[in-house]
Amino acid sequence: MTRRVGIVGAAVTPFRGKWLEKTYYELAQMATREAVKDAGISIGEVDAVFYGIYNDIFERTCIPEHPLQGICGMQDKFGIRISNGGATGAYTMSAAHAYIAAGRFKTALVLGVEKATDCYDFQSMSATPEVIKTIAWSGDSFFEQQIGWSASDSYAEVVLAYMDEHPGDLKPEVTAQVSSLLSQHVRSNPYAQRQFDQVTPQEVLNSRLVVYPFRELEICVYSEGAAALIFAEEETAKAIARNTGKPVVWITGVGEANEHSFAGKNQKVMSRIMSDYYGAHRAYEMAGIKDPAKAIEVVELHDAFVHQLEISCAEFGLVPLGRADALIEEGLMTPGGKYLVNPCGGLIYCGHAVGASNIMSAWSARNELINRKLKTALVHGTGSTVAQYTACLVLEHD
Amino acid sequence: MTARKASAKVIPTEAIPEPGSRTVAMDGKDYLVTNDAMFTFYQRSKGELSPYFIALRDEKRILGCKCTRCGLVRVPPFLTHCPDCEFAATELVEVQQVGVMNSTPPITYFATSLFQRMAPFGRGRVILNGADTALSVNVYTTTGILVPGLVRKGAEVKVVFRDDRIGESSDIFCVPTCELTPEQVEKKGLQESDINWEAAVIPQLPKASKEQAAVYEGSVKEIASVIEEMNRTERAKQDIADWKRDIQVKTIGGEFGILINDGDIRLRQERLTSPDFVMVCEDLRVLLDGLAYRGSLTDAVIMKKLWISKNQEFVTIFKLDRMARSLVRTSKR
Repeated sequence: MTRRVGIVGAAVTPFRGKWLEKTYYELAQMATREAVKDAGISIGEVDAVFYGIYNDIFERTCIPEHPLQGICGMQDKFGIRISNGGATGAYTMSAAHAYIAAGRFKTALVLGVEKATDCYDFQSMSATPEVIKTIAWSGDSFFEQQIGWSASDSYAEVVLAYMDEHPGDLKPEVTAQVSSLLSQHVRSNPYAQRQFDQVTPQEVLNSRLVVYPFRELEICVYSEGAAALIFAEEETAKAIARNTGKPVVWITGVGEANEHSFAGKNQKVMSRIMSDYYGAHRAYEMAGIKDPAKAIEVVELHDAFVHQLEISCAEFGLVPLGRADALIEEGLMTPGGKYLVNPCGGLIYCGHAVGASNIMSAWSARNELINRKLKTALVHGTGSTVAQYTACLVLEHD
Repeated sequence: MTARKASAKVIPTEAIPEPGSRTVAMDGKDYLVTNDAMFTFYQRSKGELSPYFIALRDEKRILGCKCTRCGLVRVPPFLTHCPDCEFAATELVEVQQVGVMNSTPPITYFATSLFQRMAPFGRGRVILNGADTALSVNVYTTTGILVPGLVRKGAEVKVVFRDDRIGESSDIFCVPTCELTPEQVEKKGLQESDINWEAAVIPQLPKASKEQAAVYEGSVKEIASVIEEMNRTERAKQDIADWKRDIQVKTIGGEFGILINDGDIRLRQERLTSPDFVMVCEDLRVLLDGLAYRGSLTDAVIMKKLWISKNQEFVTIFKLDRMARSLVRTSKR
């Protein structure tokens, strides 16, 4: 018999292009301090810590979580790090949920942190080429790193394969509108890297091609920052909620899937993100959701790229495959529409501090459920080559 | 397509900074920033993958592995036993050097720091004749810069072997067979030196008409104005911090220089004696629109409206595009 698990505290640091004045030690502690404060508990009352840190090279050390154990006041307790590419944060929440649901712990700190832009390219005298090189060490080390694999071109493979199958979908004017809409959402997120960077669809279309078919304003921005959640089992969660006066947001569904990394017959279906399909539908099944298009109100998904956001929504069952443009064309995600998609601005405008990103998304989903008095949200993380990894969580507010 | 340099180091020398540190002030406080690197060298075994890479390097052959039970041929041969058949053994087989693209390949214009000199390049997956799975390869055109639409799903491509091979996945790449002669398509072990690569030739510009001369004069004034604005905008200046380039701009109606020097950008109405690279466009409004964020210079190069003499100077083009956006962002605040 598994136990119910709820979120009783949450916090994020500001996401920034560069935190000159803080290391990842301090960013991690900042988020932790605020999360326990939000839950109204002492760090001494937290039983275990689950770290979401994606890339050792960003933090410039191979077990980057080890100093955080003491810095975050978790010495002599359980600590484990999860690293699953872009889906690190979502998988970290999944792991913490499993341990608590299994009865191992009553409370846990879920802590994501990343400091990406200390990387620096001394040839172009800028950070970005070195940041994306650092990520590019994640490509297949025998067959793909040597030929220029990057996160962008591997996701572009999937997007272009989808467009091969559905040539009328993902129209440039629609992807530009999605990006523009997200830039409007971010305005109310004071922690976002690009809070005041509102753009028009025309500006998106005018932005440069980075990796075909992606334009600069259709791609997430690399960030530095941290996010933390406090998870608790049912009785503890209810006691904390009575104390703080804030409702518990329950994690009612969790689902994951990792696809094949090679393509072709019996391997990855390049035109689909089956990891998103399986991850979301497994989470729905656990949550007892039969029709996601009716149940899901808030979607906080990992929008590494606008085109992928659209395909992911189709894989989640929120729009038909091949008609993802309905998100805009039928007003499903426009203001007042059926779905509230990435109200935090998503990773494109709030920023992508990789290990922290999906945890930030859960922070945002929790806020929206409580503040707007909504019932059900889907939180999503995607990662690895060709959108191979996915973890999804269904959050529900009583 | 950039040839591999035989003298290249595992870590490119030009990528390595000097040891050192600097103090950066922010909000009245000083922070120390240190030049640093994580590096590890390897003598890495290719293990069970060795026959594949040795065949690439020494024999210009491409191997796959065939499941002895289901018969699926995987290329590259990335496993020794088939997980779909209770781990039945596979055996190495040779496949052909022509195949079709599994899907439309992406094109990288803004590459990682390791591949900036190689961009723009395509990377996609080809299903070679005789194979069931797709091999990840670079895709080039013999006709200059790879542009969207040139290679699509189902396009037939030919594997080309580099002249200088070291037993890596970069020993091969693909080009569309429609750009090759039947003999080249047929040839096993076709090498890059067997192909006529279209060389970059500086475009010749016709003499300006009166109307074109007027467009030139007007556009130069507007470009000068945008550049002055960039010089007054901190975010735009940051985009060219520590960057130095002298660019000669040639267009119908005249030529001038754009000088970038560590956070400073100037227009100079003269012919530069030794520019770092040359930009050529028939209509100067292409450059103006890019700098004014009414289009992107990157796209202009891709669409052949703007010609640059060195592909690796895409990095400077990106910086100019970024400055244009910084100007717009700042004007909104």
